[in-house]
Amino acid sequence: MTRVFSDLRPAGMSLDDAMRLVARGERAGLRAIYDLEAPAMIGVAMRILRRRDLAEEAVHDCIVQVWRKAASFDSARGQARAWLYTVLRNRALNILRGERSGSSAGEETLLTLESEGETPEACVARLSDAKALRRCLERLEPARRSMIVLAYAQGLTHGELAGKLGLPLGTVKSTIRRSLSALKECMA
Amino acid sequence: MSSANFTHEDFDRLAAEHVIGLLDEPEQTLAERLIETDPNFAARVAGWRTRLSEFDETAPRYEPDAGLWTKIESNLGRRLPLPAPLRDSRWSRLWENLGFWRPVGLATGFAALLLATGLGFAVREAQRKPALVAVMLDDSGRPAGLVNVRADGRAELVALTDVSAPDGRTLQIWTLWDRARGPVSLGTLATARNMTLSLDSLPRTTPDQLFEITLEPAGGSPTGRPTGPVLMKGTASTAL
Repeated sequence: MTRVFSDLRPAGMSLDDAMRLVARGERAGLRAIYDLEAPAMIGVAMRILRRRDLAEEAVHDCIVQVWRKAASFDSARGQARAWLYTVLRNRALNILRGERSGSSAGEETLLTLESEGETPEACVARLSDAKALRRCLERLEPARRSMIVLAYAQGLTHGELAGKLGLPLGTVKSTIRRSLSALKECMA
Repeated sequence: MSSANFTHEDFDRLAAEHVIGLLDEPEQTLAERLIETDPNFAARVAGWRTRLSEFDETAPRYEPDAGLWTKIESNLGRRLPLPAPLRDSRWSRLWENLGFWRPVGLATGFAALLLATGLGFAVREAQRKPALVAVMLDDSGRPAGLVNVRADGRAELVALTDVSAPDGRTLQIWTLWDRARGPVSLGTLATARNMTLSLDSLPRTTPDQLFEITLEPAGGSPTGRPTGPVLMKGTASTAL
């Protein structure tokens, strides 16, 4: 029996270790990343895309991209998780915006949503109350908090936020800027 | 889009909105460029990623569809393999073999022509016409990087593929214009990327001058000559 390399999955491998293997061209590392992160990656993509097939497509594209680009990942700086989720979110946002803008039928017919999506408050409630992000988000007024959560977790644009919240675009932009600056100061 | 009049607050807002995914063109392009060129901005981006990453960690988890991995695996395709150390001696011999360089020079000239038409954006973007161009090919003959030498003698490396040194090793770029003197190091780098090359202490670059990138031990070749495998190489041609 031929044993293929990707069958060899060292137990207890960290994401950084797995990324180093991938950087050396070893598929076992990619499989380890998949085993460790695919369920959470689908979750992140589902929040943005709200459709299972599109979320899996985003994860697929992200893992393939990681394989192709891992040589450019600077393992000395670590941060494999940040890099992985940056690639994933970019891919999911591109799918979201590409599908929307590429359609004359409008987003509702094309992106038939499978789930309503979490409310921003439910999303904040999942954050650890021991950590600064939740504590500092809770210091913002609810409407401001919602804007940050809807933009980051669900990928809404300034324009979509304005439509959803019934506010002028300029107000949304300036409110988000002030909120981000308050968030940074609080988390420092 | 220029960041010339940006305050610290503007840079921070740009970094945060880039991480969140709120930027429109042309700010998105500006942010991507600043990440590559401005370590201070890249650090702001990293800071915002860290601040907001807890959202990702708390997303609901879903078991992937059973076919997802198979689909990923079937789409991995070919990628540039890092050369095995076994090839060192062969490449060292090739370096000495003049006959090997003739077809490379021809292929390079042809690739330079293709690049002049197809990849002219690299040059146009810089708004600086190079006087000489060396297209560096990998060992399968694909363009992997190029060196532009401008009329004033300044030079830049343009990366065309992702190549990085594994742990404990470094990429080193060399040039050779005088076989008696041998190759001269232009510096080491962790990853092939767009960068300025310092040729100031060297004679003016001439057509057929060789440029190449080798894989060396961390810190650069201990002998001052290429010791590792050649990842890409090419000779300079006069730009039309």
